Amino acid sequence: MPPPEELLKRAEEILAELEKGQWPSHVKELRKTRYPLHIYGVGLVARKSPWGPGAVTVKYVNTGVLSRWSREWVPRGGEETHFRVFHTPGKFWKTDFVRQIVKISRELGVGLIELVGQTGAFVINLTKDKAEEMVDALRSIGTDVGGSGDAIRALNACVGPALCEFALFDTLRWFAEFHKDKRINDAIATPNFPYKFKIKISGCPMDCARANRADLGLIGVWEGAPEVDQELLRRKIEAGEVDPEKLAANCPSGAITWDKEKRELRIDGARCKKSMHCIRAAFPAIKPGKRRKVAVVIGGGVKGRFGPKLGWFVGYLEPNEEGMRRAVDLVFKVIEPWDREAQPKYRLGDYIMQQGIETFVHKAGIKLEGMPPLAKTGDEVPYAVLSKEEREAYLNLVRELKGRA
Amino acid sequence: MTADPKAARLQKVFPVDLDKFLPDIIKRNYGKWVDRRFHGYGIIEHISETGERVFTVKVAMPPNARLSADTLEQFADIADKLGVGAMRVTMAGNLEILTDSLDKALKIKEAVERMGFPVGGWGPTMWGINSCTAYLTCTTAVVDSPSISKALGDALKPYFTGEATLPAKLRVFVSGCPAMCAGGSAMDIVIVGQWGAPPKIREEALGNCLPPKRVLEKVQESQVFIVQVCPTGALSLRREGDKVRLVLMPEKCINCARCKENCDAFDYDPENVGVAVLVGGKMSNTGRGPRLGRVLVPWLPAIPPRYEEIVTVVRRVVDVWREHGQPGERLAEFIDRVGWQRFVEMVGLDKVHALYQKVPDYVRTYMHFRQRSDAWPRFRDGI
Repeated sequence: MPPPEELLKRAEEILAELEKGQWPSHVKELRKTRYPLHIYGVGLVARKSPWGPGAVTVKYVNTGVLSRWSREWVPRGGEETHFRVFHTPGKFWKTDFVRQIVKISRELGVGLIELVGQTGAFVINLTKDKAEEMVDALRSIGTDVGGSGDAIRALNACVGPALCEFALFDTLRWFAEFHKDKRINDAIATPNFPYKFKIKISGCPMDCARANRADLGLIGVWEGAPEVDQELLRRKIEAGEVDPEKLAANCPSGAITWDKEKRELRIDGARCKKSMHCIRAAFPAIKPGKRRKVAVVIGGGVKGRFGPKLGWFVGYLEPNEEGMRRAVDLVFKVIEPWDREAQPKYRLGDYIMQQGIETFVHKAGIKLEGMPPLAKTGDEVPYAVLSKEEREAYLNLVRELKGRA
Repeated sequence: MTADPKAARLQKVFPVDLDKFLPDIIKRNYGKWVDRRFHGYGIIEHISETGERVFTVKVAMPPNARLSADTLEQFADIADKLGVGAMRVTMAGNLEILTDSLDKALKIKEAVERMGFPVGGWGPTMWGINSCTAYLTCTTAVVDSPSISKALGDALKPYFTGEATLPAKLRVFVSGCPAMCAGGSAMDIVIVGQWGAPPKIREEALGNCLPPKRVLEKVQESQVFIVQVCPTGALSLRREGDKVRLVLMPEKCINCARCKENCDAFDYDPENVGVAVLVGGKMSNTGRGPRLGRVLVPWLPAIPPRYEEIVTVVRRVVDVWREHGQPGERLAEFIDRVGWQRFVEMVGLDKVHALYQKVPDYVRTYMHFRQRSDAWPRFRDGI
């Protein structure tokens, strides 16, 4: 490591370089704040993170508060504290709300805001001494701090019916109702689980909220074929907006046929894999079907013992009041066996991999409409340690089969 | 407020009142949207059955979506003057400013571009770059993703604004360490910080991560937290007389960084650090559905501030895809169509790719843990 003066000089050179270029620069923004930028620069010179774990306690706030000290090799040193703050539904910010955030950030923070993190929360930097005040200030404008550690993290929902034609159920209402449940509140407020737990809500199979990699994801779908308005479609074809042959050829499910004679588009509902291809190409002449469902996926995630994974689809809920209530209950149904049995730092998905999805669904007592057969593909390795019960189960099965013959 | 401050604070104040937080024009047309239209890249029009229209202008934010209060206030001014007094933040870290006419939308575009923020996204363009926080605040980051994102953004900006188009949507995630906080690996192009070699243990800091000595003497190894978090059993306790030591077996280590995430005593050497480049993942159910990305390059050096090595590979991947991809074909579908092997050859990595394929240690350690699940073939497909 070079001597301190040299280190700071080289840090400044790198920072200056990062202000150039045509893409917006984070360094330019950081310069307008009271963020200790030299620490960041020194990290870039040393090529390792300049931050070490720090501590800050805010009364009765157990999640969402994070603090760092700079490492001992950073000249002049410094500290960094930030809050994870809940986003509004659909992440809409009216300007009066933005101005309140700006005011809080200037007066109690360091004038720096991260608009969104991957939890779906936004982040405000501050100094430790203002932490208590900042919590009260944020609560007074109608939001709060929370969602870090082994708790339920900030929920995330796509914009849904607020600004999207494709929304198949009311994602923002579900988002709001989830928060009103006391159990969800408590699980967000206090970390008590083996690892983090994320809930994401997407309105359609395009999955803008990235529900497929959440511990519990809800994705709007429909049953059967998309709805075709043949008359409107013909007009779109005549206007040259849609090429029906291409539409049929490019359907990933191969479910579309174009009847040249009758000038009609037919979609086979049984084959449709809900890729949204035709809908996006010919909307609103082709629309999602009328029988709407909410698909449930569980066990996705990025951080985890067994690496990144997408969720397992386990069935449908109805997109109505009762479905919404069942969805909230479902959260705690899947959490229960995981919380009881999983080792620390196992994501739900890791636990499911260890147990097998079949066993897990049985243990959690999940019963949903349209649950697919969950048998795993057989092992390619012909040896395994089996318990006496397991072996006996197979023996009994064969006896039964014999009786049937 | 209740009298009990503890109970009051533990009852979170969630900003979920739709009536309070949604802009009026959105409330009036909630669930009534019937059509959409694009006006160049970065401006979309939503048409409601009430006849009202909302124009949304997508603005790229700096890496890690970091804005100063001053700049955010400027955006609020623009949204008040030219918009409907509202904006939206997207998961991709872009800012969308809402307005009610195309004319105003174009003026917003002009105003934000004057501030140095490009407008773009939607359609066959790059929709944005997601970055984790890395050296800005993170204790475990191995490379600095915001500055990598900045270098990539400078190189890929024409694909965002639509000056140069792509076969389909492109999204880039840049994460500073294997925890992949920028959004995981299920995306078109994903850059992930890599340790490159097993960590060193800083003995003096280890005390914070182990139970007290008298407990450690009695407790079983498998009950010790830091031993539990290692997925391959590379960490174990060695008892020598009355001393108990934590030992790392480098040949079992797969550089997953879980030990570092849970204990500060693990250090990497900047000499070995680099990034992996993954390609062909996606989240959406379009095409052939969501899937995780695959490692194209397991290691590249990460040299600030311009990260030329990383930019070169990303540019190369994009060029190959632009040249050979069919219209509407995401990178994932393009790779599926031509085949992984052919794709690797097209990018020009076929010679070195074999080196990575020969690493059997990964396979052995993972197999041990995965033998009873279907994860093993998935992992094998993944590498």
